[in-house]
Amino acid sequence: MNCPRLKEWLEERYDLEGVKRLAKGKLIPEHRYDLWYYTGGITLFLFIVQFLTGMLMALYYVPHIDFAHKSIIEIVTKLNMGWFFRSLHHWGAQLAIVFLFIHLFGTLLLKSYRKPREFVWITGFILLGISIFFGLSGYLLLWDERAFAAVRVATGGAGALPLVGGFIKAFLRGSMDVTGDTLLRFYAFHVAILPILTLGLIGVHILLVQLHGMSVPLSLKAEKQREVPFFPNVFYKDLAVWLTVTGLLVTLAVFLPPEIGMKADPLAPPPENVKPEWYFLFLMQTLKLFPGAILGMNGETIAILLVSGAILFFFLIPFFDSKSARGEKSPLFTWIGVIYLLYFLTMTAVGFFS
Amino acid sequence: MKLKYSLITRRTFLNTLFGGWLIAFCSGTFFTLMKFAFPTLGKEPDFVVLNKKDFMDLASNSIKRFAWGGTVGFYFKKADGTILALKGVCSHMECNVDYRPAEKKFYCPCHQGWFDENGKNVAGPPPKPLEIFVITEEGEKLIIAKKGVKVELPKA
Amino acid sequence: MQRMAIIGKYWRKKGDSSRFLLQKVGSCPLFFARLMAAAILLLPVAAVAAPAAEKIVKIAVFPTAPYYIYIVYESLAVFWVAILGLLVIIRMKIREIERVQALGVEKEDQDAPLLK
Repeated sequence: MNCPRLKEWLEERYDLEGVKRLAKGKLIPEHRYDLWYYTGGITLFLFIVQFLTGMLMALYYVPHIDFAHKSIIEIVTKLNMGWFFRSLHHWGAQLAIVFLFIHLFGTLLLKSYRKPREFVWITGFILLGISIFFGLSGYLLLWDERAFAAVRVATGGAGALPLVGGFIKAFLRGSMDVTGDTLLRFYAFHVAILPILTLGLIGVHILLVQLHGMSVPLSLKAEKQREVPFFPNVFYKDLAVWLTVTGLLVTLAVFLPPEIGMKADPLAPPPENVKPEWYFLFLMQTLKLFPGAILGMNGETIAILLVSGAILFFFLIPFFDSKSARGEKSPLFTWIGVIYLLYFLTMTAVGFFS
Repeated sequence: MKLKYSLITRRTFLNTLFGGWLIAFCSGTFFTLMKFAFPTLGKEPDFVVLNKKDFMDLASNSIKRFAWGGTVGFYFKKADGTILALKGVCSHMECNVDYRPAEKKFYCPCHQGWFDENGKNVAGPPPKPLEIFVITEEGEKLIIAKKGVKVELPKA
Repeated sequence: MQRMAIIGKYWRKKGDSSRFLLQKVGSCPLFFARLMAAAILLLPVAAVAAPAAEKIVKIAVFPTAPYYIYIVYESLAVFWVAILGLLVIIRMKIREIERVQALGVEKEDQDAPLLK
């Protein structure tokens, strides 16, 4: 659109040419693995979708134990397109976490975490934790039998951590058991606390990516990369990818709208074979592997300690992988990454089909 | 007849096509969003049906409130015995009005507006009179309707 | 008694408890009365409890009226036409951009003065 007067008006106040020069400077390398570059953007896009559909849901949802379940039924049955936006919100969450894991394991195996991008990894990992908590808190808001049981197990599991477990459990639950206080608290997390943290961290994460540029895998480092300007080439490709993801999301939302179970009854037993959301299954399965007591110590505590250790190691991988920090090939850590990925996939599958 | 030169450049053609299609797509999405965000629930009714016997033994110079959609309506028996039905909402900023039997006027406490017995605005900021409804009786029922509305009762 | 037992076994195989009880009438009316009472009382409970245990209140998470179902699928089709159209146009744009970039016109003289 050619509006010379508008351009002039803006140029008298802001350094538009400077911004344009900065934007033109963003270059994306082209190579065998460059498709992986799109995974971060897809995750970002899905989070934006969640923010928008979440705001729409917040217009009508009531976070009180007597009204929560009913308000969702009202949204789904009485409002225009209510079922559709709720379905979009549900599938948006599922796809966001799927692509988040793809992005996570992609950056792990391609070693994008290596020097100088350690903080990109750190902020990204914290975002992973926040996203999982987004999923858990959002899921409880349904206040149906399955959600209630799942959250009881999840917060109870957190309580098994030594020393800090009791505090974490009380903080998450808001009282001794999962009650209306828990619902309200999880609503506050889901709608206010986590969004503001996410916005801040995503801002830092993306800013750092712009500062560092796109990481090129070690195996290709020697070759001279062909670099393509982001504006306009890769921008349009990104847009096309995002449109395809939108299409997938809408199709899933229309053909597979999520169900709502019966309203949660704190006194009733949980439904048969209740399982948490799929992204928790690998944790549950790991806990099941451990026997009740090992060498006289509580088996569950040991399991949680080991899992926490594994996650901590994963978190600090850029600092352990000294070879890749020097720019050398690091096959040991490639294998570690593959093992983590295989373990995650296998345990999730086992948990899903058992 | 074949043209020697194209009427528009490739760039203009592509950009117009892209922009136009994008606008169509976005307006479709926006329309769906608006349908959701602006629900059709809670519209003002055209008429309400009340039980006659609830309003028959009303004292003169007093009102009895009834529900008009989400707001309040007044069934008003004047001092001389005539009946009037009106919306109990001030025409200024939509506060609820109250009837003052001593002054025989309706009073709006928000900005001290006054309406007389016929709903006409007589003092204060209200720019228009109170809305008057039409009362019809159908057997045991009292039908209070907006002026000009043709009342069609559903076959019970 | 043996004939009773054989007949009883036959009726039990058919799965009809009340008819088996009817055979018993001859031998023990009081027993029969108690058993019939229990059967009559328990039968409706059995009939209601069994399906109720599986029956979950199905909340309609998708529009039920045929008119709305049609509109939803038609809208989905239009939506996909829109998305595929946009993808085609974007591909056209990308090809044009790459064609122009291959001509090398982007590498302008950086110090060339801008025409106002």
